[in-house]
Amino acid sequence: MDVSQYLDIFIDETNEHIQELSDNIMVLENEPDNKDTINELFRAAHSLKGMAGTMGFKRMQHLTHDMEDLFSEVRNDTLKVNTDLVDILFQCIDAIEGYLENVKATSNEGTEDNEVLIKRLNDYVASGGESSGASGGEAAPAKEEASAEAAPEAAKDGPEYLSIKLEEDDKLKLQELADGGSHLYGLTVHVQKECLLKAARAFLVFKALDDFGEIIAYNPSSQDIEDEKFDLTFSVIFSTDSTDTEAIKAAVGAVSEIESVDMGAITVADYANDKNAPAEAEAEAPAEEEKPSEPAPAPAAAKPKKAEPVKAADNAAANTAKKNANKPVTARTVRVDIEKLDALMNQVSELIIAKNSLVSIGSASEAAGFDETLFRENIEYLERVTTDLHESVMKVRMVPIESTVNKFPRMIRDLSRKLGKPMDLIMTGEETELDRTVVDQIGDPLQHLLRNSADHGIESPEERRAAGKPEKGTIFLNAFQEGNNVIIQVGDDGGGINTEAVLNKAIERGIVSPEEAESMPQKEIVELLFMPSFSMAKKITDISGRGVGLDVVKSNIEALGGDVEVKTTLGQGSTFTVRLPLTLAIIQALMVEVRDEKYAIALASIMTIENIPTSEIKYVQAKEVIHLRGLVIPLIRLDQLLDCEPKEEADDYLTVVIVKRGDNCAGLVVDNLNGQQEIVIKSLGKVIENNKIISGATILGDGEVALIIDTNAMM
Amino acid sequence: MSDQKAIQAEAKSSRHELDNVEEEKIQYIVVGIGDEKYGLDISYIDNIVRMQKITRVPKAPDHYMGVINLRGMVVPVMSIRRKMGLGDDEITNKTRIIILKLEAQGLVGVLVDEVNEVIALGESEIDRNVNNSKKNDAMYINGIGKNGDGLISIFEISAIIDEVSNA
Repeated sequence: MDVSQYLDIFIDETNEHIQELSDNIMVLENEPDNKDTINELFRAAHSLKGMAGTMGFKRMQHLTHDMEDLFSEVRNDTLKVNTDLVDILFQCIDAIEGYLENVKATSNEGTEDNEVLIKRLNDYVASGGESSGASGGEAAPAKEEASAEAAPEAAKDGPEYLSIKLEEDDKLKLQELADGGSHLYGLTVHVQKECLLKAARAFLVFKALDDFGEIIAYNPSSQDIEDEKFDLTFSVIFSTDSTDTEAIKAAVGAVSEIESVDMGAITVADYANDKNAPAEAEAEAPAEEEKPSEPAPAPAAAKPKKAEPVKAADNAAANTAKKNANKPVTARTVRVDIEKLDALMNQVSELIIAKNSLVSIGSASEAAGFDETLFRENIEYLERVTTDLHESVMKVRMVPIESTVNKFPRMIRDLSRKLGKPMDLIMTGEETELDRTVVDQIGDPLQHLLRNSADHGIESPEERRAAGKPEKGTIFLNAFQEGNNVIIQVGDDGGGINTEAVLNKAIERGIVSPEEAESMPQKEIVELLFMPSFSMAKKITDISGRGVGLDVVKSNIEALGGDVEVKTTLGQGSTFTVRLPLTLAIIQALMVEVRDEKYAIALASIMTIENIPTSEIKYVQAKEVIHLRGLVIPLIRLDQLLDCEPKEEADDYLTVVIVKRGDNCAGLVVDNLNGQQEIVIKSLGKVIENNKIISGATILGDGEVALIIDTNAMM
Repeated sequence: MSDQKAIQAEAKSSRHELDNVEEEKIQYIVVGIGDEKYGLDISYIDNIVRMQKITRVPKAPDHYMGVINLRGMVVPVMSIRRKMGLGDDEITNKTRIIILKLEAQGLVGVLVDEVNEVIALGESEIDRNVNNSKKNDAMYINGIGKNGDGLISIFEISAIIDEVSNA
């Protein structure tokens, strides 16, 4: 079946389920007895298994299947949740993510079997409760493929199910199941010759068997059976608590188009190499050399008798190759709340109504004269609709930051274990919405800040105790909207930044001279942390301290049009405040004129607008400054900066737009103010990209292009 | 049925012949800059628009005239004259902005004094032997086409625009 069209949905949903698993495991760790959480986990694992199965990602399916089993054990109270279990589960999630990454890149799950992990998982289940044996909860289906390979035709002298190839693990498992009191049976099902949907019939057979117990091994492999790559018979090994073989046989036989069923009790001994018929033993030898993950047809080819399975394996190999070849590029998508789409839909229909009214006014005007009032009314209506429409379209681009920040609790948990420092992450405002582009790119900087807090911020438990703080550190991430900005604060209640140490390091590195250092205000010292290659970690850990630290955070955030600030109190912790624009595409701007040219200045960066008499300009180091309410503000004459024609005579008064960046201010001298306007930011085109003063352009109502002044670059 | 097929085959082959003849011809838009005529490969041209208000971009290279609004897109405009050292453009009624569509740079406009006609030139009608000239602007020309009595310098479009992007 061609499932490639579902790939996007699969990737999307798998991501969601992984997140769900991760979230719930975190909850589970804190509340091991929370039944709802277990149920959620079970459901998520089950959905993942189902989806992976449908898509034909077998390895992923195995892993999730075993996870599901484990959750079911937990649900039945046969397993207790502890940190080890949570660790294993998180490793499983990582493994699933690994599969997903492969799927994204190549539309194939890759060849990593994660056997070790599955074994750990199963061992855990096995050691967790004796009863697990009886219920047959732990399967090792990773081996199915191997059992299918090079499987010989039924030996003439015995039922076919006796020729199923078993790996050591499967044998062990069978043994275990047998010891646990389960009955083991072999089944060979013969399908009628004229059967059209063999795979479907086989599926029904498996389903019937599932009601009685569990299928341990297949021949051919379950994948091949699914793909109808078998002749008219297939065999399974099956464990059950029931002894009613007739009932089982009847249930299987009840599936239509099944000709006959051979069934017999088996023991593990039946599958020991030496006790098999010699022909089978021969076949087994090459099969065991094969790695389970490689569906290579070679060993089977040695035996002409086994033509059928060879073909199957061949096909499988060809399929894999084909799948590897077509690399899908997964599109960047936004999931849109249906309500937003409805609003959009409504506004578009209103737009059409407005257009129709205008059309009818236009056509009426020829016959009955032009109705100007009606015309104006409709233009107003049109204006309203387009404004709303505009807003709605922008809203569609907005997504909650949740998708980015919800991986952090897990990260902090891992860090906490790795660093041996107990800590909690408290997040608020995950529902705060930001432009999709910003949300995508804010993840790394935030992660860096959180790691910083975990690594450098939070002290060791001993230190914390000595300082009279609770042993468990707290890291917080608060997001909220403030005007046209979204603020994300990342902080901790740790030791804070030791400004003296920072200063010493800066002197040591030659970034500041000892003389400069003496008069440096605290704020500037903290700013030093954002200098390239200035890492405060005492030793390099793999968590942070690689020398690419806060400077990268800062440049990433600035690339998004935002900024970052630090506040720190020694002994009480530090807080990094990241300020981001709500959207990258539209801003409120003040339109100004310099000579006859129009420029836009982002309103968010404007502090005040002042009318300053020329006589109040003072000079500091030969540069013009003004003294305004206790602040000394440097003046920037835009006409000079922008290479405009010089004015012939100086004015008595200057119109000065005071802009700020963080705590720095500058006064931009303009000729005229043209009012406030919402502008759509456009790029200047690729031909000229590195213009420092101009950050973009916008198109004004009259079709003219106005440039946007990047005030940040001036300070 | 065989008749039909034969006709189809014939039509196909005749069309093929036509293709073969046309394959050698490339269409050029002939523009005037100063007293000279230049040709621009038509496959690069997105649009030709009348002169409109160009917004100057401060601190840009000299030949970068500024940006215009092209149906809601901001498109940079170059002056070929300034680029080739022919002085400033004289804006007249005939001045046009030719919008080129390039893979690397997207849309870029170039100013020309006038747009004359579209011609098709075969390789045999173009003299490629132009790069022996030491003159600076020779690198912007990749051939001289003969169109009746007139000579048309064929622009190497990538050279005109490429260098700008590094400026």
